[in-house]
Amino acid sequence: MLGADAFDTEGFLRHLKDWSPAVAEQIASDEGIALDEAHWEIIYLLRDYYTEFDSSPAMRPLVKYCAAKLGADKGKSMYLLSLFPGSPARLGSKIAGLPKPENCL
Amino acid sequence: MASDTPKASGQAEPPRLLLVTRSPPYGSSLARSALDTALAAAAFDMAPALLFLDHGVLQLLPQQEGAASETRSHGKVLDSLPLYDIDRIYVDAAALLHFGLQDMPLPAAAEVVDSTGIRALLEGCDHILSF
Amino acid sequence: MILHTLNASPGSTAFDHCLAQVAADDGLLLMGNAVYAALANAPALARLRATGARLHVLEDDARTAGVTPQMSEDVLAIDFDAFVALSEQHARQVAWF
Repeated sequence: MLGADAFDTEGFLRHLKDWSPAVAEQIASDEGIALDEAHWEIIYLLRDYYTEFDSSPAMRPLVKYCAAKLGADKGKSMYLLSLFPGSPARLGSKIAGLPKPENCL
Repeated sequence: MASDTPKASGQAEPPRLLLVTRSPPYGSSLARSALDTALAAAAFDMAPALLFLDHGVLQLLPQQEGAASETRSHGKVLDSLPLYDIDRIYVDAAALLHFGLQDMPLPAAAEVVDSTGIRALLEGCDHILSF
Repeated sequence: MILHTLNASPGSTAFDHCLAQVAADDGLLLMGNAVYAALANAPALARLRATGARLHVLEDDARTAGVTPQMSEDVLAIDFDAFVALSEQHARQVAWF
């Protein structure tokens, strides 16, 4: 378990390197989400996105990236919303240990 | 940003936005501001056209290693523009020559423009933001 | 012998003023936005060569900018330790920015 000072005031991890699957479980639990295979697939996809583009995605690019990497069935807002209710880009990035998406409106 | 309002036509068509970025990617926050504005506009369904002018063309150098200066790679963020549906990218031909970058690989959507082409871009949009 | 540290892009007035003052036995270190002058095809590079000064570039800055893969072999990439050594070899140092 990471202490409170590892997170910013909105609960985003301050340092990428502090992330681990256990930390993801911790953040998800705080958000009321039990992670299953489908969640993990998106979490690792988000981390790949960050490695490739040095930024966390907004919703639109996340949907397109999912479609390109995981196929059209998963490249849909509804699918992502079912896994990460409310704001999938924001919530997914948070659990994936990424900085808060800057253009997530 | 001034008090920009959508076109007074009342139609659903969004205003055509042109962002002019004239700064190199590092050393000041201007290039980053231009990029952040572009991504934010895209999130509002107003994907802007981007004009890389003057020192702005230096933002397009491939293989930028942000980690060497503990910063994010401006070039990598630019790589995400197609995912934001930003696919109108214009590059100043004279600036490429000035920096000896005329053979540099450019983003797939990029079009190299001369002075006349730049004038046409400025005339062909509703709002222009300069960085 | 003067070490010139140049942190201004090719085309800026600081860049031009610096080049006007560089002598053949001086050292020149490109850093910040001056690293673009180290691009192999940069017209600015020809002007740097013409000074006769020894040309250096701060390696971290060149890598950040994406200049390293297309860098001229006439420019020596150095780290901060080498920068310190370079400072010690020159009686005077002038910063252009």
